[in-house]
Amino acid sequence: MDLRFAEGAIVRDDFFLVEIDRFQGPLDLLLHLIRTQDIDVFDIPVARITDQFLQVIKGLDEEDLDSAGEFLETAATLIRIKAQMLLPHEGDDDDEDPRAQLVRRLLEYEQIREISQRMRSAEADRARRFSKGFIPARPKRLHQEMPLETTWADVLSAALSVEMPAPRQGLPRITARTISMQDKVVLILDSLQDRSGVEFSRLLRGFGDTMHGVMTFLAGLELTRQRVLFMRQSQPFSELWFYKNEEAEEGVTEDIGRIEVDT
Amino acid sequence: MNTPQIVEAVLFASDAPLSPDEIARADERLDEDQVEEALQILKAEYDDAHRAFHLTEIAEGYQILTRPEFAPYLERFDNVHRPNRLSGPSLETLAIIAYRQPIGRIEIEYIRGVNSSGVIRTLQDRSLIDIVGRGDGLGRPLLYGTTQRFQEHFGFGSLDDLPRPDELPIILKDRMPLQESERSSDQEEISEKQGLGERPADEDADNHVNEASQDSGA
Repeated sequence: MDLRFAEGAIVRDDFFLVEIDRFQGPLDLLLHLIRTQDIDVFDIPVARITDQFLQVIKGLDEEDLDSAGEFLETAATLIRIKAQMLLPHEGDDDDEDPRAQLVRRLLEYEQIREISQRMRSAEADRARRFSKGFIPARPKRLHQEMPLETTWADVLSAALSVEMPAPRQGLPRITARTISMQDKVVLILDSLQDRSGVEFSRLLRGFGDTMHGVMTFLAGLELTRQRVLFMRQSQPFSELWFYKNEEAEEGVTEDIGRIEVDT
Repeated sequence: MNTPQIVEAVLFASDAPLSPDEIARADERLDEDQVEEALQILKAEYDDAHRAFHLTEIAEGYQILTRPEFAPYLERFDNVHRPNRLSGPSLETLAIIAYRQPIGRIEIEYIRGVNSSGVIRTLQDRSLIDIVGRGDGLGRPLLYGTTQRFQEHFGFGSLDDLPRPDELPIILKDRMPLQESERSSDQEEISEKQGLGERPADEDADNHVNEASQDSGA
């Protein structure tokens, strides 16, 4: 099939511009030519349609051989039909109209197109109905391992109870540790003499220096390590409790002064 | 607990359509008929109470879906993946497969007049169609059919919900899924009216398909 064939085609006054890219394929283009000119699909003027078809496919992208081939194949079919129409009619009733096969394909394609348009509107209707799970789940909590809830009020009260550190003056000075952990061990065990638990803040009462807090905490950790007591906090930033370990061996608690401390 | 409540609980907990026999698994004493009955009760209840959702028959099962008039409110939450609308070629190809299944690629391409292997692959990737068998022709071609996902996508209760050929402006019933009797009478009508020759269309169409497959094989 040679496209130059189209050069000689008689272009009638009903010449019209059709953009080839708009069409999904040769059948789409043929249907367009027929439907826009109100042609009776069962009596297609093959010569005229063939000319128009060839005119339009001159705009084909030569690089795109695949789709060009499809259009050319249909062009060949059209030209064959045109030739068959020109042959003298035998007058035999069994002869089929050479256009019949093409007409059947066109009608079938047109029907499929109609169905696909209905399916498009069914698709749009369906897209307006939603099932469970459409709205996304809330993002997962970052600290799922934390067993207890913290509210913003808790965070705020914890923040407010933090003392502003004293402004630092001059170079930091390293001083010898003046508070011994031994003293704190004694303090903790004393406090636990007549009760099962004591608050960390109560142990700090009367001591101003932050270092007292640090040493008391370290003493608590040490005693915990030795299974003399255990520490509990119900939630982050809340009060820390020191509890006597009732299962501890008697000798340890009585022997308060002699607990060995690694320093 | 009565049956409609049990059925409701199962439907509520599911995010996909369930068929009556699937729902019946909820209790040994339930059978499909009881489930069907319960489904009708629930359907009427939701409609009477003007719930924002209704019981929808979809993909050969039932699913609780919101009513379309609430779409504008729900679409504001639209930040999860939603299936895209299908392209023109995809819809065309799906329509052919839906009506002609099982059908092979060659026949699809004959009807559309264009190469369709890419579209078929896309539809397969989206689970809208699947291979349902092999044809008898040369090389035993793969045959395609639509899936349950296809019915879900378009909201069809079953394949009967596809637009009927007789609703359409142009009627070509030779291979549409229709009754035998309906088929032959309408076919004659077309041939007579159009004077396109006496040959039966069924035989004719088959010949063309064979031609088409020979062409592509060459």
